[in-house]
Amino acid sequence: MAQIPSDDELFDVISKEALIDRATLSREANLEDLGIASLDVISVLFEVEERFGILVEAEELTDCKTLGQLMDKVKAKAESAAA
Amino acid sequence: MTRIAVTGLGAISALGATLEDNWQAALAGRGGIARCVMGDSPYGPGGLELPMARVAEGYDALLDERMGKPTAGALDPFAKFALAPAAEALDQAGLRGHPVLEERTAVIFGHGLGGLATLEVGYERFFGLKSPRLHPSTVPKVMVSAGVSAAAMAFEIKGPVFAVSSACASSAHAVAQGAAMIAMGQVDCALVGGSEAISTAGCVRAWDAIRAMSPATCRPFSADRDGMVLGEGGAVMMLEAWDHATARGATILGELVGWGMSSDAFHITQPSPEGQARAVRQAVTMAKAQGRDDILVSAHGTGTPLNDAAETQSIVEVFGEAGRKLPVIATKSAHGHLIGGSAVLQAAIGLRALKEGLAPPIQNFNERDPACDLDLVLGEARPVQSRLLLQNAFAFGGLNVALMFAAA
Repeated sequence: MAQIPSDDELFDVISKEALIDRATLSREANLEDLGIASLDVISVLFEVEERFGILVEAEELTDCKTLGQLMDKVKAKAESAAA
Repeated sequence: MTRIAVTGLGAISALGATLEDNWQAALAGRGGIARCVMGDSPYGPGGLELPMARVAEGYDALLDERMGKPTAGALDPFAKFALAPAAEALDQAGLRGHPVLEERTAVIFGHGLGGLATLEVGYERFFGLKSPRLHPSTVPKVMVSAGVSAAAMAFEIKGPVFAVSSACASSAHAVAQGAAMIAMGQVDCALVGGSEAISTAGCVRAWDAIRAMSPATCRPFSADRDGMVLGEGGAVMMLEAWDHATARGATILGELVGWGMSSDAFHITQPSPEGQARAVRQAVTMAKAQGRDDILVSAHGTGTPLNDAAETQSIVEVFGEAGRKLPVIATKSAHGHLIGGSAVLQAAIGLRALKEGLAPPIQNFNERDPACDLDLVLGEARPVQSRLLLQNAFAFGGLNVALMFAAA
């Protein structure tokens, strides 16, 4: 059953999987500036599926430029799964 | 031939997270072996209780602090146990950020196996949970070169970087390889060592199946020895061309004066004194140490009935009856058997012993064995006049390395 994660919960997952200091993460942060590589993205998505039961494919995130956009995509997936 | 200095040392094991901690524990006769229950997963057959020498918990935070950024989360324990002592050795050598790292430095670590903790978690998901999706970091964490890559990236070392593997002799082969690269002028510095983290539920069962593990503890050379004890951790040393080290005013901790390598070509687990002796003789010959009586022997000393008797024979074969008078230490009795990490950890402790003129005692010893009639350092630390250190490393599959170091 999918859960809708909070921003804080998603920041925790991104910080752990992409090895980025939690304090530097914000919705406005640019993925490229943060140095998030494709392996980091798929690691984050793996953990998102583990923790919240939301299945997101990396290909669905190709348009995302900021962390906020990525998080909104994940949440939208969770909402449509819960509906 | 190019002289080779040791300018940095680092270690982590059940005895502590720095070489100083390891040395102080070994010197005081304090051991890191404790009874553990391995394997409490719902998918396994139940726990197995046995003695092990495990690195203390809380280690990830310590590594992140040492590296100054989140690091531990991306690595299997075996790579963490190589990275931390690498940082310690590099710092002691004073080479962080030095231009020699740009091209003229190698990183070579030895490991018997790779990231088993990560692999077992993946297999648990696959076979236990029947999940088709494994963590995307599984391959980069499991691969046996993950440790050297982590060190190269962390310290921006851009010369030759690779891992070597020869079971229990792995880190000794890494030293020999790094030394050869310095000797032939390929590099000026080589960060060499090894690590192991195979105290995982499945792997411990596999070791148990060999029946080489002690149910009690590690008692090298004792008549009642009944097997080895697995340990976790790693150790790294910075080897440096002598002229390079002296030109920059580095503190020299020792000199690598000889190394020998041989293969028994005999049996996958049973040792051969003849094969071991060939490696030791090569090291002694290169070091021009024939006839010297100031050699401290840091034995491979696993505590298995076969190893310790064979090692006694090989020492006597190389040094003659005079070999029985050389002081012998066996620090696996303190930190367990780190497999790929053992040789460099033992050599690092041995180099401290040369420097301090104190040989740490063999722990857990009960009773003399006529088949191991050597001058064993027993009871408490013993003052020694040794100027040379012989480090033995004899692996499953009959792969032997002997390293000879001189005091600084």
